[in-house]
Amino acid sequence: MKKLIYIVLFLVASFGYAQNEQLFKEATDLYNSGKYEDAIAKYQAILKSGEHSAALYYNLGNANYKLSNIGPSIYYYEKALQLAPNDADIKNNIAFAQQMRVDAITPLPKTGWQKFKERTLGYFTFDGWAVVAVVLVVLFVVFIISYFLVITSWVKRLFFILGFVMLFAAGFSVYFAQTLYTEQNNNKFAIVYVPETPINAEPNTESNTVFTLHEGTKVKVVASLNDWRKIQLADGKVGWVIGEAIKKL
Amino acid sequence: MNAMKNIITLIVLFAFTLVGAATGQQEGVDFSASVSRNKVGLNQRIKVDFVIKNSDGDNFKAPDFKGFNAQGPMHFVQQEWINGKMNFSRTYTYYLQPTARGKFTIGQATIEVEGHLYKTSPIEIEVTAAVDDPNADPTLDDTIANNLHLVAEVSKNSPYVNEAMTVVYKLYVGPTLRVDNFDFMDDPKYNNFWSQEIRIDGYNVENVIYQGKSYRMVVLKKVVLYPQQSGKLEIEPLSLNVSMSVPTSKRDFLGRTIYEKSSKVVSAGTRTINVKALPEEGKPENFSGAVGKFSFGVTTTKNTLKASESLQAEIKVSGNGNLRLFSLPKLVTPSALETYNPEYNEKVSVNLSGMEGNVSETYTIVSKYKGKYPLPQVSFSYFNPETKKYTTITSDEIEINVTEGPVFTGTDPNTETTGTNQQQVVLSSNDFRFIKINPELVPKEKSHFYKSVLFYVLLLVPFLFIPIAVFARNKREAYVADVAGNKIRRANKLAKKYLSTAKRTLGNKEAFYIALEKALHNYLKAKLHIETSEFSKEKIESLLQERNVDSENIEGFIELLKSCELARYSPASDVTMQHDYDKAANVITKIDKQI
Repeated sequence: MKKLIYIVLFLVASFGYAQNEQLFKEATDLYNSGKYEDAIAKYQAILKSGEHSAALYYNLGNANYKLSNIGPSIYYYEKALQLAPNDADIKNNIAFAQQMRVDAITPLPKTGWQKFKERTLGYFTFDGWAVVAVVLVVLFVVFIISYFLVITSWVKRLFFILGFVMLFAAGFSVYFAQTLYTEQNNNKFAIVYVPETPINAEPNTESNTVFTLHEGTKVKVVASLNDWRKIQLADGKVGWVIGEAIKKL
Repeated sequence: MNAMKNIITLIVLFAFTLVGAATGQQEGVDFSASVSRNKVGLNQRIKVDFVIKNSDGDNFKAPDFKGFNAQGPMHFVQQEWINGKMNFSRTYTYYLQPTARGKFTIGQATIEVEGHLYKTSPIEIEVTAAVDDPNADPTLDDTIANNLHLVAEVSKNSPYVNEAMTVVYKLYVGPTLRVDNFDFMDDPKYNNFWSQEIRIDGYNVENVIYQGKSYRMVVLKKVVLYPQQSGKLEIEPLSLNVSMSVPTSKRDFLGRTIYEKSSKVVSAGTRTINVKALPEEGKPENFSGAVGKFSFGVTTTKNTLKASESLQAEIKVSGNGNLRLFSLPKLVTPSALETYNPEYNEKVSVNLSGMEGNVSETYTIVSKYKGKYPLPQVSFSYFNPETKKYTTITSDEIEINVTEGPVFTGTDPNTETTGTNQQQVVLSSNDFRFIKINPELVPKEKSHFYKSVLFYVLLLVPFLFIPIAVFARNKREAYVADVAGNKIRRANKLAKKYLSTAKRTLGNKEAFYIALEKALHNYLKAKLHIETSEFSKEKIESLLQERNVDSENIEGFIELLKSCELARYSPASDVTMQHDYDKAANVITKIDKQI
């Protein structure tokens, strides 16, 4: 009986997924003929069915850009970048979307390590980094075993050094995977979704407005209290914003 | 000079009014009441005239003179022909003696003319304490006080903050006075008001009815005021020095009234304005103090341009209200556009209804990068004092398209995944790219490899191979290091190799011994490099001795060979065969060790 239910579920699911391909095709045609709202509706229907992809988010970003919806377009490009951090199309078009923003935030100067980390992290998703880690561990083991088996002393030394380089690299891969994993699962980032929102000093409406943010700006959520979120900007500014004004990635 | 002009104007207009008075009353029925004075001492009398003009009436009914003892009426009819036109008037005159102090009203008298009922206006009389000289003429000061009034007319007594209001100063001059000249003593100050005086080109004399009496009136000054704070605000009085000729009761010998020169300072009195604060309810957040009725819009000179070209965006508020007294909403532009400080323009005229016209701010915007830039909507809120409500107007969204130029590739500085510099510019050939055709959809709740059991197994299991490999290597080294054992193992291997055929035929007597003999020969052949033809027991013995093999082993070997030969002709049990096989193996092993 249970098996039967699973089979039925599977059939329904696969039917739904087949429909999604159809929806995606229709949306592409709608987009190409300039009916961006209709295309967005189709893409949203796909998202609702429980499937996603970098391409889907990218297309949603494009359609929203065409309609000059600053917040949604940047939001979906960022979603797409989470799934495909190194996609050239996404990187190209998010730049177009970002120049619609009002806020210009000068990031704090970064240390060499931070720059290296940011550059390197983007090469793979966290699953990719996990695979890299496994491969490096295997290489480490191979090199270390070779070190034990080989008699010639310079070869031995070479294998030993190579082995530990691999182990070191594997450690970093796991660290990167973990960093990306927490980044995505803890949803630390959010996009401002309203045209303009005040950022207050305290999580209540009576407190002073510290500064104002505009649609499309990316913020880091560091804490929350009731309806309020404490956010941090790339330039180090912090403040509280009402939760409805931002949308978590 | 100015005063001179005033006088001339007044005199000219005075003349006109006399003519107007003479001609205006020839037509129609006029029934009116007049009193000799409004203020009377208890021991004085008042003369009341009820005059019907242009037609005779019937059924005259005098009012009830409450508070007075009335004497009369006395009739007086006047009829005259001027240029063929008849002027007729009948006057009913009463003399009233007050009976008590206080304020009394002479009610309405009625008369019927051709079936229509005409009524006079009621007149108020103030009765004061008895005066010393009941028959004295009114003094000069009394005459002036009754006939010269400076009034400040305020359009609104309780305006809202920033709502336009006006103060008009009017000088009323009674028909008997002749104003020769006047000077402004002091210009009033309007503290807590924004004020602007409306210029008056020449004084215009009008005939008006003021407090039930006819006066000549001149507007001296018009000021538009915008209260700047709520609460009770005072308007300082305007003071005027008026020189005039006042008629006296004296007559010259021709019977004309003698006029006396006099001057008096009149002031309009302090006016208190109760300014209402704007209501807090429904006050929009972006309200900047605009009160009135406005229209609002944002326009740009062009919407499509190339990089490094410029355009102007104008924020404009036009209408009627405190145009100069509020700040315009600011235009916010995307940071990728370069926007310069706005230029302020105004075209405002001030009249009695307040400021009218438009104010605008013009921003110059320069685009550096190609792309699409939607300008955020701008909202402008104002308070409409007529409807007592706030109104917010939001401009249409404007989109600026920059068609050619370099592309801005400042990726989000918050992104940790892609961290490049904001100012980086790439080749201008980059365009906004088309959507992706291939869906590549995956379920959202995909199970991830990272943190899965498989991941941990694959990550940690390889480490187990290190101890295994080390153990295996150690084993092998120990194996290699054991020299004696090695040799034995090698010999055993040899013996086994040669004796394998024999072992297979164990049990079959003839075949076994043939194989055994052959094996022994083969062994020698391989070891001692001799031919089968050279085989003789002596030869073998000597050869083995040459190679320092123990005599015991040699003997054993020879014996084996012998037993092989013997066995062919004698019966042999399985046990013997096994014994011989073991012996052969043993001997081969031992010889091998010694060679």
